[in-house]
Amino acid sequence: MVMMRKFLAACAVAGGLIWGCTAVAADASPAQGKTALTGDAACTRCHDESDKKVLTIYQTRHGVKGDSRAPGCQSCHGTSGAHLKNKQTPTDVSFGKNKSDAKAQDAACMTCHKSDKRTHWEGGQHQTNDVTCSNCHTVHAAADKVRSKKTQADVCFTCHKDQRSDSRKISHHPIGEGKVVCSDCHNPHGSAGPKLLKKNTVTETCYTCHAEKRGPFLWEHQPVTEDCSTCHNSHGSNIAPLLKSRTPFLCSECHDGAHNSKVPAAGNVAGTQGGLTAVPSENYTGRACLNCHALIHGSNNPAGALLHR
Amino acid sequence: MKTRSEGMKVRVLSFAVQGALAAMCVLPAMAQAADDKLAALTQPTNTIEVGVENVSQKSAKFGEYTGLRKSGGELIGNFSVSGGDAYGNGSGTGTTRWGITGSDLGTTSRAFGGSVSSQGKWDLSIGYDELRHSFSDTFQTPQQGSMGGNNFTMPTNFGNLNGAAPAARVLTAVQQGAFHTEEVGTTRKNTSFAAAFNFNPQLSLKFDYNHLDQSGAKLMGTGSQGGITLIGGSTGRAEANNVIMNPTNYKTDTLNLALNWVGDRGHLTGAYYGSIFRDGYNSLSWQGAMSTAASACVGVACFVNNTMSTAPSNNFHQLNLIGGYAFSPSTKLAGGFSYSRNTQNDSYAPTSIAQNGGALTYDMMQAGGLPRSSLDGLVVARHADLKLTNQTTKDLVLSAAYKFNERDNRTPSNTYLYMQLGNGAYTGVNTPFSNRKTQIELAGDYRLARNQNIRLAYERESIKRWCNGVADGFQCVASPSSGEDKLGLTYRAKASDSVKFNAGYAHAKRSADIDTTYLSNAGDRKLQAINTNHGVFNGGNYQGFVAYNYASRTQDILKAGVNWQASEELDVGLKGRYSKDKYDAALGVQSGDTASINLDATYTYSPRSSVSAYASMQNSERDLRDASAPVAHAGAVATTIWTNQLKEDSNAIGLTTKHTGLMGGKLELLGDLSYSLDKSHYSTQVPYLATCGAAGTLTCGDTPDIKAKLLTFKLTGTYQVDKSSKVALAYQYQKLSSEDYYYNGYQYGYTPNRVVPTNEQAPNYSVNLIGVSYIHSFK
Repeated sequence: MVMMRKFLAACAVAGGLIWGCTAVAADASPAQGKTALTGDAACTRCHDESDKKVLTIYQTRHGVKGDSRAPGCQSCHGTSGAHLKNKQTPTDVSFGKNKSDAKAQDAACMTCHKSDKRTHWEGGQHQTNDVTCSNCHTVHAAADKVRSKKTQADVCFTCHKDQRSDSRKISHHPIGEGKVVCSDCHNPHGSAGPKLLKKNTVTETCYTCHAEKRGPFLWEHQPVTEDCSTCHNSHGSNIAPLLKSRTPFLCSECHDGAHNSKVPAAGNVAGTQGGLTAVPSENYTGRACLNCHALIHGSNNPAGALLHR
Repeated sequence: MKTRSEGMKVRVLSFAVQGALAAMCVLPAMAQAADDKLAALTQPTNTIEVGVENVSQKSAKFGEYTGLRKSGGELIGNFSVSGGDAYGNGSGTGTTRWGITGSDLGTTSRAFGGSVSSQGKWDLSIGYDELRHSFSDTFQTPQQGSMGGNNFTMPTNFGNLNGAAPAARVLTAVQQGAFHTEEVGTTRKNTSFAAAFNFNPQLSLKFDYNHLDQSGAKLMGTGSQGGITLIGGSTGRAEANNVIMNPTNYKTDTLNLALNWVGDRGHLTGAYYGSIFRDGYNSLSWQGAMSTAASACVGVACFVNNTMSTAPSNNFHQLNLIGGYAFSPSTKLAGGFSYSRNTQNDSYAPTSIAQNGGALTYDMMQAGGLPRSSLDGLVVARHADLKLTNQTTKDLVLSAAYKFNERDNRTPSNTYLYMQLGNGAYTGVNTPFSNRKTQIELAGDYRLARNQNIRLAYERESIKRWCNGVADGFQCVASPSSGEDKLGLTYRAKASDSVKFNAGYAHAKRSADIDTTYLSNAGDRKLQAINTNHGVFNGGNYQGFVAYNYASRTQDILKAGVNWQASEELDVGLKGRYSKDKYDAALGVQSGDTASINLDATYTYSPRSSVSAYASMQNSERDLRDASAPVAHAGAVATTIWTNQLKEDSNAIGLTTKHTGLMGGKLELLGDLSYSLDKSHYSTQVPYLATCGAAGTLTCGDTPDIKAKLLTFKLTGTYQVDKSSKVALAYQYQKLSSEDYYYNGYQYGYTPNRVVPTNEQAPNYSVNLIGVSYIHSFK
């Protein structure tokens, strides 16, 4: 009788375990997650669903096992034999702050991502300042903040604090609003242009969106053909529109003598409300020079050499 | 004992059976829970958000880019749905991913798009992005014509504005009644398509196309034609200023086509980039009502129909070749070459202006003064770059780079004879500007010790500027050439696992060749033949004056930063930068300096809560020295020297906080508080004129501050109702207080004599925004 009870109990226990385990296997959905767990089993044995920061990589392009190019855990982190034996030991390559050497981190990514936009990575400003791919990218996250228009600027502002302040000034590109992002103009992976600009020159970069200022115009304004940042601060300014200074003072930095640019201006620019008792002059108030020299980026009117028409 | 033993056996058996039964029930449940967790991690979460938000106050500035420029309700609409067998089909071999997204659908900042791809094989995506840039909702004009149009007329009963004192500062009741408010802004609508195809792991093709449709207008000044005898016995007032809504009727088509090859050691990309810009208008017309004296004229006959050009349509085509080659793992070469052609041959804007409803016309060109009917403009740009990097030893990284950029403007130069705004004869010669810049960069990065690096970099930049075939043969640029040497030293150290430090210093010296005999295209060329000492030389500037961007200059830049990870919870960063520019010019900008300090700290006081704070300070100064009368010769001491100083200060503080897991894990709170104050201030000294500070002059002294104070408070709470439902409640308060003397001269009764008022106001608002939305999420 005792044996019978033992047998029944053993059957019940075994049956329960088998049924339970079978259910685990049969119901495991999504199957891809399970497959991935199997494929990267050396790692996912420990870094399972309780580790929320790891398995989300299967939502990203890196986790698509059907793509033969997609990496496994050890493609990036190394075989990490020591780590497999002792989890306190870091993986061969670990990513992030205070992790592996910057060059080792970058090398893991550059094994695959070495062409096209990354052509100028070596020797570029970010690379030479030990900025690593993982400083900006979170490859395990389902949504990489730096690749979203709404959140990219926050990633860049982690280091570029002056640009953060500029972008919140009264005159700014819609960066905080998520309509223009840093990577619209810059290639953070390195470029042949100045300041990591995507294009070869400042003007070429600006003309990408502001093609109406590209010309060539019949009557050109020289700085427009050379460098928009002669007059503009593209990240933001207290003086609209993105100007480094207010006219007429801005114009006086390059012009003196012609017309009224030689004449000093001060409180008179504020007109009657600024205490001026004489009738204010259109040369200094409001748009000042730009009241008449309105086509400051260039004119295509044969009667417009002075950028009036 | 036997009894106890048997009893124990029974209990053990009972526990075993109960355990088995429990296993039957619990393990599947545990498995399901694990599956749910796994699915949550490996499957995309789709979301659909709908709701409403209310803006308390109308403000073009608050809604400048957000689409929330009007008071009242707006719809909240966001969604993100994706799927495909790449996320799992049982075999793990799927590669298909698709997704559709939409954001801010209820506003004019809406965007939506979709993509589908077979990863590793092909990708397709489409997108639409809209942006309304609101400029003003206080601009007023008496002119009739819709925003975005290119023809503006005066009301027939408006009469004339007398350009002599008191002029436009006094408007009749009829004239005041004609003024109406326009909401001025431009709307950009981007439609995009992109595709990529991988022939094999080494070869791929990428294509993207973007169509930008821009409408609306920007505000712009205009100068009216003067000197024309008007019906009613007066004369048209030269340079009479009328702020107008300049149409942005633009279409820009941009496309990229790139063929990429990647090998074991090298990679190469051949690409075409094209940008085709089209302006729907060739010119802008408006009626001016300004005359030099009082006039009894009433009706359309009083007005002069002025015209000006709009942005000419143009094309830009560029071929690019970019590649890299690794000679060894430690030695790499990268470089590129570009060739582009930028053409523009739009018909010139009409040069005739009309009066009396078109009954009388005047050609602004002198007889025989128009050498061609369009520009036939061509700019050929070439670029080349090459960079070699080497890390032969682990401690030393070397790099050498060369860059070449040339803008070769081959546009024909001609003499144009016309009548300027004052109705005087004017000789203009167009000067197609060309420039060439070459740069050489050498750098070495050396590891002093395990956690210390030093980097030394040298850069040489040479610039040439010229104009091809200027019609009258004169030089066209102030600085035909310049060279700049820059030396930089950077030190980086990791003092410990928790402290990182960096500091850098750079010194640059630019030596410019200055040609004071050059004529800018702004100079009346006929005058130089009369008197070679006339101001048309040196670009019309006085001798000794050099524009700051062309002057010889020394520049010193110092920057440093430290980051301290005080603990797992606390991270603190401090950065600073200072730069000083000194210009070598008797007249012009003398110096400029900028300084900034940024302090950031983040404290994660629990796994679910953190708070971040920052403080930023920026200030800058620019000093200008100028003369108000001719200087006999370069280097001579002018007796009419005046100076101007620009000082700018920006200070900002901010605090953000995030709390998750409240109310049993259901509530998440995000808070954001920030304040900034930006000031710009000019100060002018005119020592040679004792009366400069008199109230009737005010050409010396200080300007009022251009000031902007912005306070923002945001609080967002998200409550998880159940597994698939959330409710979000968001509140934002934003207050902008700005002061800007810019607007003073456009106010009714305060304009200069030649300016038509606009009554446009400096942006000030105090807006409460509240929004509530429901977020449904599903797998």
